[in-house]
Amino acid sequence: MEAPREREELTLVVRRPCFGLPTACPSCLPVYFYLKFSGFPFQLEFNLIHPDSDQIPYIESDSYVAYNNEKGGVIESLKDDGILDMDSELWSTPDFTSMKAMIGSWLENALQYELWLGSDGSSVQKIYYADLPWPLGKILHLKQIRMVKQHLGITKEHAERREAEIYQKAMIAYGALSTSLGEEEFFFNRPSSLDAAFLGHALIVLQALPETSPLRSKLSQYDNLVRYAEKHKAQYIDTSSISSPQFPSFPKRGSKPKGAAKKERTPEEKKFRKRAKYFLIAQFVAALLFLTIMGGPFDNNELEMDDEDQGFSYDD
Amino acid sequence: MESREENPSNGEERDPQDSIDEDEEDSEIDGEDYQPEPPPPSQESRLRAHKARLTNLSRKLSSEQVPIRVHDVLIKGNTKTKDWVIEAVLEELKHAGSLQELLQAASLANFRLQELGIFHSVNIVLDSGPKELPGTANVVVNIVEASNPLSGEIGYYTKPEARSSTLEGVLKLKNLLGYGDLWDGSFAYGWNQTSELSAGVFFPRFKSWTNPLIARVFLITQDWLKYSSYNEQSLGLSLGLISSRNHDLTYNLSWRTLADPSQMSSRLVRRQLGHGLSSALKYTFRYDRRNSPMRPTRGYAFVSTTQVGGLVPDARSLRFLRQEFDLRYAVPLEFNNAAINFGMSVGALFPWGPGFLEKPSPLPERFYLGGNSSPLSTLGGSASLLGFGTRGVGPSEPRRQTGDTIERDFVGGDLSVTAFADISFDLPFKWCRKSGIYGHLFACGGNLAKLTQDEFRNFSFQNFLKSYRSSVGAGIVVPTNIVRLEVNYCYVLRQFDFDRGKTGLRISFSSL
Repeated sequence: MEAPREREELTLVVRRPCFGLPTACPSCLPVYFYLKFSGFPFQLEFNLIHPDSDQIPYIESDSYVAYNNEKGGVIESLKDDGILDMDSELWSTPDFTSMKAMIGSWLENALQYELWLGSDGSSVQKIYYADLPWPLGKILHLKQIRMVKQHLGITKEHAERREAEIYQKAMIAYGALSTSLGEEEFFFNRPSSLDAAFLGHALIVLQALPETSPLRSKLSQYDNLVRYAEKHKAQYIDTSSISSPQFPSFPKRGSKPKGAAKKERTPEEKKFRKRAKYFLIAQFVAALLFLTIMGGPFDNNELEMDDEDQGFSYDD
Repeated sequence: MESREENPSNGEERDPQDSIDEDEEDSEIDGEDYQPEPPPPSQESRLRAHKARLTNLSRKLSSEQVPIRVHDVLIKGNTKTKDWVIEAVLEELKHAGSLQELLQAASLANFRLQELGIFHSVNIVLDSGPKELPGTANVVVNIVEASNPLSGEIGYYTKPEARSSTLEGVLKLKNLLGYGDLWDGSFAYGWNQTSELSAGVFFPRFKSWTNPLIARVFLITQDWLKYSSYNEQSLGLSLGLISSRNHDLTYNLSWRTLADPSQMSSRLVRRQLGHGLSSALKYTFRYDRRNSPMRPTRGYAFVSTTQVGGLVPDARSLRFLRQEFDLRYAVPLEFNNAAINFGMSVGALFPWGPGFLEKPSPLPERFYLGGNSSPLSTLGGSASLLGFGTRGVGPSEPRRQTGDTIERDFVGGDLSVTAFADISFDLPFKWCRKSGIYGHLFACGGNLAKLTQDEFRNFSFQNFLKSYRSSVGAGIVVPTNIVRLEVNYCYVLRQFDFDRGKTGLRISFSSL
């Protein structure tokens, strides 16, 4: 592993934490594990309002930024820029490359299918749209479903056949990975981007998908893969440190947050809130007075005029 | 009496007394007892009699109130337009108590009917009332509805909220429902790659609701990549609830997306990229007593704009409070049609809701200073600071580094204060005065500050005043038929940090 270049501390920006994971986004969790494996210190921050962006996850440090949609991803950018490379001697290994390709294509497609099309959509709602107002989240969700169908080549005529293909390839991939891993701690004796990629996939399948998910049941058949995922989760994910992002909690539509602890307010905050409340009340009263005095929909004078018979007749 | 928009100078005067006299003549002709006809009056004597009556009438009108009561109002020619649309405009006519009031009301009604934009011509005739009711008049409103309801126009406009002027093409459909409604579809394009596609409907009134109703759906794209590394797209609905001379209340519901296709944005901008729902009420109070909005030489004006965002039960929508005040004052000077104008604008923005002290304010709602638009001719809306580039003043953040140099994003401020003084004067050439070309000297200054994310704890009014930016200059203003052209030489007196102020010649275009 090359020594990372000296920089300010890295910040990894990912999608929101949920399902007991620091992030349940399939693009973001592998990058998290990659940095954890390296021991590189980094901060975790969240973008809650851009579910359809291909720039997330991204890493930043001072004026340096590595986006997900550049140079093949954040992990590849870190290698290219000489910051962090955990695969330095592994690229020449044929198994390494083929297993990475398998995870990056077959397993990625399978997870994408399962999240967006194979389940009821509750998982992706929590992962991507929980922090957007309902109409926006709903429209973006429908738009993303359409894009996934196009990407996976799923049409009405071939939907079942395509689904069977996807699950079959996933099974083949799980079988190959299980055989390769055995009872080892890592796939190639030390942590690599391959471990990061598979861990990211496996933990989302095991924790974010419902128990009735076919993909989850297929992965569960391989005990060594499940043990491998659980072990590294316990080692590298501190569940006590996973908390909601530093944003106000968003109650569901029509409900109020229950038992939300009130933050202690400073005297300035209390004064400001009081003034803001009076300001809003004054504006509302002014608008109401204007409507009442200056004439609105119930202008009594006009009603009186219409009622009186002044002998006006009109030719049409 | 006729009040005709097309040929106002050809209106005939008809004395109600005159018509009564004619009726008497008619009744004499129709009488049972036949008497030999008197010899017909000569042309000359008729004209003399008519002139005498007119003189008599105008003397009466100028010296005393001629009492009259409106007996009947007849509307002719409206096949599509609903009666109540026209009747609403004629209300004041019915209450006229004198001939003078009636003439005034008729003229005003004519103007208002023309203003609806749905008639080809409007002709109001004042006729005498029934013989048995002396001192009464009938009002006959002859309208010709527009034969072709479809029209189009292209123009150059500056809207109060716009950050620049836009070239706009509009297609209008008039009076589709017969309610005086105006439907339009428009496309507008501005200097900073601002484009807007919108469609709207305008109802001058609806039954007993006297305020005009305006509804508009729009898709606006604004490109701020060059200045702040993001572009903004808004898809939404705007409702005009109250629109009068002094008051304007609109409601906006829009889906707003900030994106950075260049992937060069600074950290602060990156954090705000994404989708948001804006549900905001905007109230504008405008009091303008200047003699001209484009080149005021006397009077004063005051505008207050209040915006409250987050008016939906969903706490995930954009929540903010924005307040702006604009004050203008013009004092005439005693030479060359000169005047000195003073102006001051103050604005503040703050998010609200749980944790509002730690939340950043939304980027598009912040205040930005800079640009070439004249502070004199824009009242309300964004504040300009001549001599500085668009959004070229105030807080900035370093962008992503790709080479040796690091550029910066201007991220605006939560508190904005600007002031200006401008002396305008006629140029000493006759052709300039004839064309409306004039010169001006100006001085302007302003500053921005961040208050959110606990920055208000470090805010000091003294430091804010000490770090103001300023510029002075002189220029010429050329109003043409389409646009208003300004050529100014600006000298930047004070700028700080990474401001984009530059001394030199600036040319700007704005709408008339």
